Amino acid sequence: MRRLLLGLAGIAITLGVWELVGRRLGESLFAPPSAVVVQFGPQLFDGSVLPVLAGSLRQMLIGFGLAYALGVPAGVLMGRSKTIDALLHPWLSMAVVTSIAALVPLFILMFGTGFSFRISIVFFAAVWFVALTVYQGARGIEPRWLEVGRAFGADPLQSFSKIMLPALYPYLLISARIGLIHAIRAMVVAETFVVVGYGALIHNSGLSISTAPLLGLLLLLMVLGVGVTWMLRKASSFIAPWYEDRRSA
Amino acid sequence: MIGALRRSARGTALLNWLSIVAGLIVWEAVARRLPHIVLPPPSIVLVRLAEGILSGELIIALLGSLEALALGLALAIVVGVPLGFALGRNRTFAEMFDPVLNAIYAIPPVAFVPFLIIWFGLHLPARIALVFLMSVFEITVAVTAGARDVNPSQIDVGRSFGARRLDLARKVILPAALPFIFTGLRIGLVRAINGTITAELFFAAINLGAIMNEDATRFDTAGLLSVIVLLSLLGLTAQAALRRIEARVLPWHIRAAT
Repeated sequence: MRRLLLGLAGIAITLGVWELVGRRLGESLFAPPSAVVVQFGPQLFDGSVLPVLAGSLRQMLIGFGLAYALGVPAGVLMGRSKTIDALLHPWLSMAVVTSIAALVPLFILMFGTGFSFRISIVFFAAVWFVALTVYQGARGIEPRWLEVGRAFGADPLQSFSKIMLPALYPYLLISARIGLIHAIRAMVVAETFVVVGYGALIHNSGLSISTAPLLGLLLLLMVLGVGVTWMLRKASSFIAPWYEDRRSA
Repeated sequence: MIGALRRSARGTALLNWLSIVAGLIVWEAVARRLPHIVLPPPSIVLVRLAEGILSGELIIALLGSLEALALGLALAIVVGVPLGFALGRNRTFAEMFDPVLNAIYAIPPVAFVPFLIIWFGLHLPARIALVFLMSVFEITVAVTAGARDVNPSQIDVGRSFGARRLDLARKVILPAALPFIFTGLRIGLVRAINGTITAELFFAAINLGAIMNEDATRFDTAGLLSVIVLLSLLGLTAQAALRRIEARVLPWHIRAAT
């Protein structure tokens, strides 16, 4: 209760300060929230924003889905086998520090600017983080648990499905959350660079006289990111209530 | 026991190198069958990288990039570290502003580009701002975690020996949070390097961003890859260097490799 009230107070203070500063600076520099609601509100429902966002998200989800389907098994294998870990880790370390924006011109030469380009950028941005998160989970599985299973006569398949998999549940969701955040970032990078989809909306609204539409688009992305995080956290506490998710990332 | 450990560590390093060499050989074999625009072989990329470094072109561009990198990162540290401490040590403050900061953090940084252009133009100030935006949250999050998780009994010990608030902050909380500050710096530095090249590509193209742009218009995939490899190596080296410094400065803190 206290948490909720203080959180709401924090949001109210932020909005208040933004309104004051926004009025001072004017709409062309920093539109206040009231102007964003008045100008962006109608846009949101006139079909010029949401269908575009849905289209972008659909492509993003394909890239993310591929990354997840490949990243999870890779992470489990790396976490459970020292040899596979040693073989894959150098590439993972290198890929994780690589800037997605720097890859954009390269991927454009390789794939053009269409569907396969957008999907491969999202895929590359998400797959390593999914693998890394699942890897940390798989590595943390206690050998004792597996020994208990073996003592009770579990065969390898049972010890995977009954011991390892439940231990990995929370990490499957954490990796989905981290992967999706990176996928959304990569989607925006790719789309803003080639001016297409939601990225084109952001790019073009930067050219308008008022910053209200631009701020509206940013707020919509914010709602999306917060929504994804919140949903996956909820799912996590439902599927794996024993695991307390204390990571703030 | 130690011998076995050392052997296995050496085995891991051997496998690491084996994997890199094998990967490069496969890449070379595949790339020779494809047009170089689609996928240039690593041998050509390495030659381009060496040429760029020896001719000084890449080095000069890299040095030019460091300006925005250093200023943006410095700004992010100056803001992120105190903010992290405030969020980690003051519960009321954290409960008020954690949700707001998390929400802003959820916005992809590149989405701010048009906004930054309006405020800062297309040159150095805009690049500094993007580097700042891309690194400040990571630093804040790491420092918050460090300042929050200081063992309460350590603080109690300090108190019972008569330490005042300032002493506590300087002699107990700061050293206890230092490992997290280093983590924040390490992540922040990598993000700042990424922010720098992102800014050089999304605002007016300059330094390494300009080289990448020229390579792209000439369909020079090998040139693009050589810049990307250079940046990734820079990121890895910077991370390793910070780990070294951390081991020197904080010999009592042993970190599990990630």
